[in-house]
Amino acid sequence: MRALIAAVTGLALAFALVLALTELGTPTGETSPKPLLTTVPPHP
Amino acid sequence: MHRRAALILLALAVFFAALSPLTRWYAFPRLAKIPADQYQDMVLVAKDATLLDYGTMTEREVPEVTIVQTLKGNVEASEKIERTTDRDVVVWDGLSYVQGPDGEMVSKIPERYIFDAHTQEPVHARGEMVDGDPVRREGLEFKWPFLTEPRDYAYFDAQARITAPIHYKGTRDFRGVEVYYFEQTIPWTEVPFPRTMPVEGITRETVAKTGTTRWYTTVRKFWVEPVTGAPVYGEEIHKEELRGGTLLGDREKVTAFAGHVKMREDYIDHTVDLVSSQRVVVLLMTSYLPWGFLGLGVLLLALALCVEARGRAADGPGTGEAVTSEPVTA
Repeated sequence: MRALIAAVTGLALAFALVLALTELGTPTGETSPKPLLTTVPPHP
Repeated sequence: MHRRAALILLALAVFFAALSPLTRWYAFPRLAKIPADQYQDMVLVAKDATLLDYGTMTEREVPEVTIVQTLKGNVEASEKIERTTDRDVVVWDGLSYVQGPDGEMVSKIPERYIFDAHTQEPVHARGEMVDGDPVRREGLEFKWPFLTEPRDYAYFDAQARITAPIHYKGTRDFRGVEVYYFEQTIPWTEVPFPRTMPVEGITRETVAKTGTTRWYTTVRKFWVEPVTGAPVYGEEIHKEELRGGTLLGDREKVTAFAGHVKMREDYIDHTVDLVSSQRVVVLLMTSYLPWGFLGLGVLLLALALCVEARGRAADGPGTGEAVTSEPVTA
């Protein structure tokens, strides 16, 4: 019984961690102030 | 003591074993996406090209034509679309600026490309356009999806505003990176004149009145790194003609542009380096971490069983249950 509880705890923690990370996502950031280029840049 | 340690190890084993498929099939599809704020530029060059002189309406050989392509993520526009679509959306405002050998503008074509940040499928929303003309894209443009498959894809051609297959032609090595090579041929197709013409006073509408039409054909080649879906190199064998109408006088057709367009060398190096680093990040989510977690889970499970077995051995037979004898009173 205790083994089963330990296994379920591990599983629940894994789900909680992954769900929290995906829910957090990645920041969207801001639109770059750099213009659409009409000159040839010297290098990338 | 042994039993407690074994239970903790078992919980950790299940934790890591469960993380393995969760990382690959739950977290990766949700976390891997094109950032909405990305800004990138690319320079392509056509050496020894043919270009139309709009002043005299004659074609001339030029040493070099340069195409500067910029893609800028419009975060505000993507957030606005996301409110109505329930998807992570990226809006790229792009500009293809073509410059002649003397630095003069040959053409500039803006476009807005809206797509799903995870799958790169086009998202149809107001504002989707090429050179001010509303379009409804199908298929890919600029980038392939993460974990690109070795098969044909549909690719949107911005000049002709059509979607056509881009064929997988094999796996190759490009400067030490394993890539999938794709090729698309757009046969001679009538296409609209750009809204911005190189000569002041000439517009799409005034040209249309002369009856002259613009035709285009291209062979588009992409070398795509399959893990990231990012092209590391591209080429185009591009030809444009003006046909018929009073603008050409007695001539049937004239070449407006003909050239073999290739990425500039410094941009190739930069792109290969960038894609190689991004490839590691994607592989971390799809391969390194899932397999690592699975291995760790198996290892911890074996350790848990070992500790449990040693615990039972240390307890010895019959010592598991403590029996206390009480004096019997008659």
